[in-house]
Amino acid sequence: MSAQQLQVGTELRSAPRQMTRERMRWYIDTHATVEHDDGRIHQGPPTIHDDDAYARSQGLPGIIADGMVSTNWILGLLLEAFGRDFAERGRLRTKYVKPIYEDQVVVSCARVQRVESTPDGESVFHLEVWCETESRDKLTVGEAVVHSRVR
Amino acid sequence: MATGRYVSDLDRGDVLGPVEYALSPFVVREYCHAVELHQEFFQGSVDQIAPPTMIHLEKLRLYRFACPAGTGPDARVHIEFDATFHEPVRVGERVRVVGRVSDRQAKRGREYMQLDIELRAVSDQRLLMTYRDTVILAYRQKQAAAEGSA
Repeated sequence: MSAQQLQVGTELRSAPRQMTRERMRWYIDTHATVEHDDGRIHQGPPTIHDDDAYARSQGLPGIIADGMVSTNWILGLLLEAFGRDFAERGRLRTKYVKPIYEDQVVVSCARVQRVESTPDGESVFHLEVWCETESRDKLTVGEAVVHSRVR
Repeated sequence: MATGRYVSDLDRGDVLGPVEYALSPFVVREYCHAVELHQEFFQGSVDQIAPPTMIHLEKLRLYRFACPAGTGPDARVHIEFDATFHEPVRVGERVRVVGRVSDRQAKRGREYMQLDIELRAVSDQRLLMTYRDTVILAYRQKQAAAEGSA
């Protein structure tokens, strides 16, 4: 769905995605990989996102996903609708209200709450955003503001 | 001032950085692969920009700079991401990042910390991004508090 089709109340929903161990590890590996920036993949010390024994030592039942994975999945959903405009300017706030465990299935969602027009020809979309389980239990909640050049 | 050792030592008012660097095409592509952002403007070779969510890694960059001994005794849990993107962060542009601990307080036996981060272009001080990161400094304390209140 493109920005032109969005109205107050329109809901965007991603396809369900499983939070696999691999997906959790991919994100955690970015930390050391970005730090080294030498063209190779690096792994850091154990974390609650990639090491079961360490996660259990910290009081968790097993590894949990870094919240930034769900934040990025929400970003991806909004980029599908708004394109580069949302990568360049706007606001995204996400709060991780429940942990996401290995193999949980997650759907990323957004709902348009308000649209404003600006004198310089932009539309400013205010959206509620969240990630939920297939049974609609919210895991991540938040809001986004998107400045779109599409009227 | 509580910089210089562990992240868990940080306190309100502590300033982390500034740190200057330029994002390479490699790290932006790798980050986008990891979180399945396949857009051409992130992964292409022309006018490549960074996804705004990469600002979260600036926190880790500042932690490494200001707290070289590491996290501290317990795992930290990220609970809130709040970023405003003012202008795109272009690959290769030299940027400066600085952070300030804006709050640290105990609530129901859990230690919460907020870090406010600003990212600016080195060339003209243009504000690119502002970011507030909120963490619980020790998940284990949170668990113990939850059990104690049950």
